[in-house]
Amino acid sequence: MRAVADDPLSMEQKMALLRRQYAQKIEDRIADLQTTIRRLGHAEGGERLDSLVIIRDATHKLAGSGATFGFPVVTEYAREMEHACIWVLENPGRESDEDAKTLNANLEKLSQRLLDDVVAQCQEVAEVDDSTERIWVPQLHGSARKKVLIVMEYDGTTAAQVRQEMNHYGFDVRIVDHPNKMLDDLKSHGGVDVIVTGLLFDQDTSAALSALAMMREDSEFKDISVVVNTVLDTMSARLGAVHAGAKAYLVKPVDLANLIDVLDHVTHNHEDEQFRVLIVDDDETLASYTELVLQGAGMDTKIVFDPMDVFDALDLFSPELILLDLYMPTCDGREVAGVIRQREEYAGIPIVFLSGESDKDKQLSAMELGGDDFLTKPIRASHLISSVQIRAARFRELRSFMTRDSMTGLFNHTTTKQFLGIELARAQRNKTDLAVVSLDIDHFKVVNDTYGHGVGDRVIKALARLLRLRLRSADIIGRMGGEEFSAILIDTGVDEAAQVFDIIRKVFSEIEFTADDQTFRVTISCGVAAVPDYNTAQALSDAADKALYAAKNGGRNQVVKAP
Amino acid sequence: MVGDCAVFSKILLIEDDPDIQTVAQMALEEIGGFTLVVCNSGGEAIEKARRFVPDIILLDVMMPEMDGPETLLKLREIDTIKDIPVVFITAKVMPSDVERYQALGAADVIAKPFEPMTLAERVQEIWSASRG
Repeated sequence: MRAVADDPLSMEQKMALLRRQYAQKIEDRIADLQTTIRRLGHAEGGERLDSLVIIRDATHKLAGSGATFGFPVVTEYAREMEHACIWVLENPGRESDEDAKTLNANLEKLSQRLLDDVVAQCQEVAEVDDSTERIWVPQLHGSARKKVLIVMEYDGTTAAQVRQEMNHYGFDVRIVDHPNKMLDDLKSHGGVDVIVTGLLFDQDTSAALSALAMMREDSEFKDISVVVNTVLDTMSARLGAVHAGAKAYLVKPVDLANLIDVLDHVTHNHEDEQFRVLIVDDDETLASYTELVLQGAGMDTKIVFDPMDVFDALDLFSPELILLDLYMPTCDGREVAGVIRQREEYAGIPIVFLSGESDKDKQLSAMELGGDDFLTKPIRASHLISSVQIRAARFRELRSFMTRDSMTGLFNHTTTKQFLGIELARAQRNKTDLAVVSLDIDHFKVVNDTYGHGVGDRVIKALARLLRLRLRSADIIGRMGGEEFSAILIDTGVDEAAQVFDIIRKVFSEIEFTADDQTFRVTISCGVAAVPDYNTAQALSDAADKALYAAKNGGRNQVVKAP
Repeated sequence: MVGDCAVFSKILLIEDDPDIQTVAQMALEEIGGFTLVVCNSGGEAIEKARRFVPDIILLDVMMPEMDGPETLLKLREIDTIKDIPVVFITAKVMPSDVERYQALGAADVIAKPFEPMTLAERVQEIWSASRG
């Protein structure tokens, strides 16, 4: 995964983006204003006053926002127009015909000047910002097919802009302007990877969330990823989005690079599982909030309220990042970090402190004891997510060099054994099934001797690929060395595991390999053992190995269950 | 949670102009690091303030239906909110206007247009000042 915040946008760049968005809208607004001003010329009495109110409100808004977005000229002209309207509105009946004509002419003149100046300035802004935008262009993972997106956006201009820009980045965008049309579009066209939806709340209900809930009920569409993109940043809106199964919650304004990164992330088929984050915090409310935010971002979390329970959690949950509160009643977060670092197997795990402590010295002393980062509360949800994601991803990547077999990408011997311990403890705690399978390629030496090691490697890679394809992502697959493999099947009994592997055995035996103009086939033998017949990691592996031995002795190309 | 008690972090912004909402959101959340709840109208603010108790309220003066001063009076009727400092954020900053806002009990006035890069700092100052 590409990290978002490796090149964070500076505030200036974000401000420039906002300016540009504002600039794009402002011409239309001035044009609207001019239409109303022209209408003034023919309006009299109450109608005239109504138009003046519209002009006053519009210019009031422009006066307030113009210079805020870096267009002082907008504020200047708009304020002049606003004051002219206010005078008439606050002195009813005192406007002579002559006054009215002068005002109309004045407003027309001012609005035209405003438009001319703004157009010139907007072009400058657009040109300047074009150069900064290139910095944000993200590198896309090469993908053969264009991803299809439905964008539900109430605001037509934004939607059109999104479509245009997303097209450049390999997304096919279809736009709908109301949540109810989302389902219609899905049903008539189908084939959608992600839905990006805006969100509005009307009396605490949102049509978009209801539409998503309906979509989830349809088995055909229930797995489509959803990204919420909204100006709303309330807990209830976020909760609603989580309940509707949204994978990401972006608060507008969202820069394009960020959105694409999120889309890339949700559409990318990760061969790895969710990030596991351990939250250590004695404050239940805060811990739950953190949990909610991280789960909302698709992470797997576990909360520990008492620092004394950290080690159990480390062993059972095997986190990839620890979020640690600095001040807890029973002990100091810095001490906890120090103790974690003393254990060799956790020396590399990222530890991030989360606290209201803003004293730099204390933050530094926390880092000295082994913290990787210090996030000061209050922290924005998006900030928390990216901080955690980046570090956890980096940790996973680093660890993969040590834990994976370089040829097949499967786990190596040591890691597979470690996983067996973790998964066995989990199964015993939850009273669920767990099966271990040992497998071996039959007569592999003959393949190597006949066709050479290169071909032998191809056979090993093919088996690895088949195992990955046929097993679930939560199952652990390891290459134990040479032509030996092992699989740990979660929540699976001995009979079921044997059935699964009998299918794998059959499928593999039908694969034709080609070398030196000859084709040949290869078979595998498997031994299966499971809880509760065997209840320690050692007993499980030994039993699976013995069953494998029995399969070899029984003529190979077969699956044998441990007695 | 020792260090957390006196930290100012939550802002309720009541503003009907989406552009100002956007820029204020960036200024307050990203530069200031505050938690921000945005309301489009006085009515929405009164509804939300019952559930979300902010440390400070930023209130636009000119809004359709219920305007800023009216919203302020309604907010003052909510027990949990009545002592929270309210800052008017407005383009109407003639001395007579400002006097009127202060008479209503506003902690301060922020003029529109404002400078986005320093808005958070300004709000922080007003909040500190309001605590004496």
